[in-house]
This record gives sequence, structure tokens and C-alpha cells, in this order.
Amino acid sequence: MSSVSAEDLAETYRTTYRALVRFLYRKVWDAERAEDLAQEAFARALVHKPDNARGWLFIVAANMARDDARRAARERRHLTLLTAEPQESASATEEALEVESDRARVRAALDELTPRDREVLLLWDSGLSYDEIAAQTGLARGAIGTTLSRARRRLVQAYEAGKSGEHVARG
Amino acid sequence: MSHVDDGTLNAYLDGEVSPAEAQGVDAHLAQCPTCRGRLEEERALITRAGELLALAAPPDHGLPPFRVGDVKPPTRLWWRVRLPLAWAATVVLALGIGSYLGGRVERASRAQTASDTQPAERRALDAPVRSKLAQRESRGTVGGAARTPPPAQPAAPASRQEADGIALERKVQVAAIPRDTALSAATPAPAPASKAAFVMVDGALVEKGSPIRIDSARALLGADPLAVPGAPIRTIYRAREIGYSAVVIVEQALDSNTVIEVVNGRRSPVALEAVTVTGAAAPLVRADSAAVAGRAPLDRARSADSVAAAPAAKAAARLGRYETQNWWQRSLGDLDVRVSGPLPSDSLQKLLRAVQPVKP
Repeated sequence: MSSVSAEDLAETYRTTYRALVRFLYRKVWDAERAEDLAQEAFARALVHKPDNARGWLFIVAANMARDDARRAARERRHLTLLTAEPQESASATEEALEVESDRARVRAALDELTPRDREVLLLWDSGLSYDEIAAQTGLARGAIGTTLSRARRRLVQAYEAGKSGEHVARG
Repeated sequence: MSHVDDGTLNAYLDGEVSPAEAQGVDAHLAQCPTCRGRLEEERALITRAGELLALAAPPDHGLPPFRVGDVKPPTRLWWRVRLPLAWAATVVLALGIGSYLGGRVERASRAQTASDTQPAERRALDAPVRSKLAQRESRGTVGGAARTPPPAQPAAPASRQEADGIALERKVQVAAIPRDTALSAATPAPAPASKAAFVMVDGALVEKGSPIRIDSARALLGADPLAVPGAPIRTIYRAREIGYSAVVIVEQALDSNTVIEVVNGRRSPVALEAVTVTGAAAPLVRADSAAVAGRAPLDRARSADSVAAAPAAKAAARLGRYETQNWWQRSLGDLDVRVSGPLPSDSLQKLLRAVQPVKP
């Protein structure tokens, strides 16, 4: 049944790996972990050889990120030990701090979105088409534009609100 | 006609409406100032949201090598291989610097190859603890005196080198091509297999979307995509760019080392602002940090592993890469077509003049 060759997958890897890491990073907010999960997703793809590798990878990645969040909550201490590899000590320059705080603001703004809006926005930003997003989320294709419109507006508003120090109501 | 809703405006700007739908939207926009205003508002939101998401991009660690042969699933998962790979990169870097300073480039190529062959990774896989130790040791070496022989070298199984003679020879050739930067020394995959997954657009890097078939490209553009005759088409991607209702990138190989991109942009009939789109390729450099960095601030010289020990060299590679980006553009009917690649301007101009529609 599978017509997917290792070469096809290597090509998918080249074109999709970074996008997948970016997608995962915005779920687990740990760059090393995001890369580990992306690698694992590709390792699984090598076993399963899915026909639509790209879509399959994002579905698997989303599931892994969800499992990861659950596991992390359960075994936070254990995970901390596992990931305690030597980190390069980022020099705490002002610029680096600025980048960090921007990142935190965007993260907080993303948290303001509903799970569905957030998922659609992250998938779009990872390069998936409306068709691919619809297939992955179960939304009608015609609803993707509306969802994206709402998600983008919300993200920008939440970010600006957070930046100006105003209180943003949860929800 | 009723107004265009926000969702349709987003789909329109995202290049996700069919040509027929797009015509309907265009017709309405042409006669409705209100919707033109809303279109601009949505356009600004899309841009802003994209910028914000770029702020929350992970630090760039490049593209780890993908070697199908190394993975013996399900027990040998990629994430277990990562550390040994990092270790191998460390050795490569250490040897590269040491040999470069010593002026013994040839030895570096061979040593790099030795540490880069599969058995080294397999062995490392079997003994992860040892690899970790070796990694830490060699980190110290990189940070300290480059003249010190890297302590991790014995871990590379010399006896297996001969068995892998063919692969080794191939990699020596590859290693001998662009050996002017530490980045290339630390980048183990063969150069011809690499290609940028991003193209330069107005100074910003834009991600190629999903690979598509020629039929889909034709449907998106509403015309035959343009390409340089005689050069094999490697991949066709869809892409997105505001101002164009559809963008298709045709990647063609001129030879084993030179990849050009022919960017086909279908202009929106209602052009509300002038948008310039360029494309660029740098096939000789792997599609790693420099390419991805465009979505995040460009100052990410640091990297996950010991490769970060040479930020200056990395920056130099990046600079050289931008200097090689050339492109030329012309308009043919509804399409803007650009040819880009690591070639001199006059060559690109010739290629641009030569583009022809790819007939079914």
C-alpha cells in the first residue's frame, strides 16, 4: 500500500523539519524538546511510511506534544533530570533579554486564543495549506479563513494589550 | 453584491481561494471602498500576526543530517541518536580547526570523513555514556587550544574505515569542495543534496510551502508555470506572498551543484499596492541556520551544540551566502517571473529570457 520511499521521506524531512520544530516549540516551549519530538516523529514516519507524510507528521507531532504536556505535568521532576544536558549559557545581554521577553509576550498572547484558533494559526504558520489544516483539525475548509481571521486578530490584540501592561481577561 | 466576509478576505490574501472565487472578490473590491479598507486591515493583521509568531520561533539549531540507513526502528529512535551526532559534529569541528591552523587541509578532510561515517554513529549509539564523555571532552578542546589533538578521535573505529571505503571516498570529495569555512566543515551532508527551503523576498525570507505537482501549479497560476527549458525540474513548491493570488516556485538543477529557482507569481488583478518579490537560492550552503534565521532575528549565532564555538565563522558563511543571491524579474502576461540562483547576473538574465511555459 505504501508508495513512500525513504528518498521521499528524506525530501519531506528537508522541507518540513524546521516547520515541524517551530510548530512543536510553540506547544512545548522548549527548543531541545521540540527538536527531540520532531526527530521522533520522523523516526516513526520511517516505520509507518505514511502516504501523506507531511500531514501525518503534523498530526503525530500534535499528539506527541499533547502527550508530552501530560507527561511533563506528571513527571516534571523526572523530565528535568532527563533534559539536564549542559546548556550553552546564553549571555544575558540586553538584546537577548529583549528577545526573551518578546517571546514570553507572544506566548502569553497565544495562550489567550481558544485551542482551536491557536491550532489553526500554528498550522498555517508552519506552512500547511487550508486543505491540510482542514484535514488535520476536522474543520470545514470554508471555516479556515474565518478561524484564521479571528485567531490573527486575537493574537495581535492580546499581544498589544499585554505589552501596554493592561490586564487582559482570560478566555 | 454583498460584502466579502473576513474569512474570505483572509483566504483571498492567503492565496487560498479558487481562481473563480478570486475573480468574484476582485470584482467586488473594485467597486466597494469599504471592503477595500477591510482588505487592508486584514492584510495588516496577517502581517502583524506573522511578525509576532516569528518572535516566538525556536532558536535555530540547523537541520540535523537525515540518514535513513542509520535508523533501525523502532528501537533506535532519532532522539537517541542526537547526542552522538552532536559529538560527531564536535570532533569534526575540532579536527577542522586544528588542521586548518596547521595548514594540513587534506588530513582534515580524511579525519572529518572518518568521524562522519556511519559506523562512528552506530558505535556511539551503543555507548551513549562514553559518547557524552567524549562530547564534553571535545567541547573543552574546542574552547581551548585548537592545536591539542581531539581526545574523541579514538572513538572513531578505524578498522571500519576501509570497509566503508566507497562512502568515505565520496565524502572526501564532498569535503574538499567548499572548505573555506568552519560551517562547511561542520556540515556533514553531501552538498548536492542540499537546497534552501526558503527564498528571499524583499529582504525577508519566506518559507516555501508544500511541494506540489505540476497540475496543481497550473491550477494555482491559471496558466502553465514558466521554467527554464532543458534543465530538469527537481521540485515545485507553492508559496505565499501578499500581492499575489498564487506563487509557485519551480526548482531546477542546472548541474549537480547549481540549483536555480523560477518563481512564478500570479498578480492579483486588483493591485492595491506595489509588491516586489524576489527569489534566491544558495544550493552550495545547506539550508540550515541562515535560511531559517530569516523568520527570527538574524543575530542567532549561537547554536545547540559545539558548533556554536565558531560564531565568527558562521557569520562569515552567512555573509558570503547573501552575497551570492542574485535574481532577475520580468512580467509575462499575468505572471511575474523571477529567476534566482548562485549565478552571475548576466547568466540569470539569460536564463530569464529563456523561460518557457511548461506544457502538459
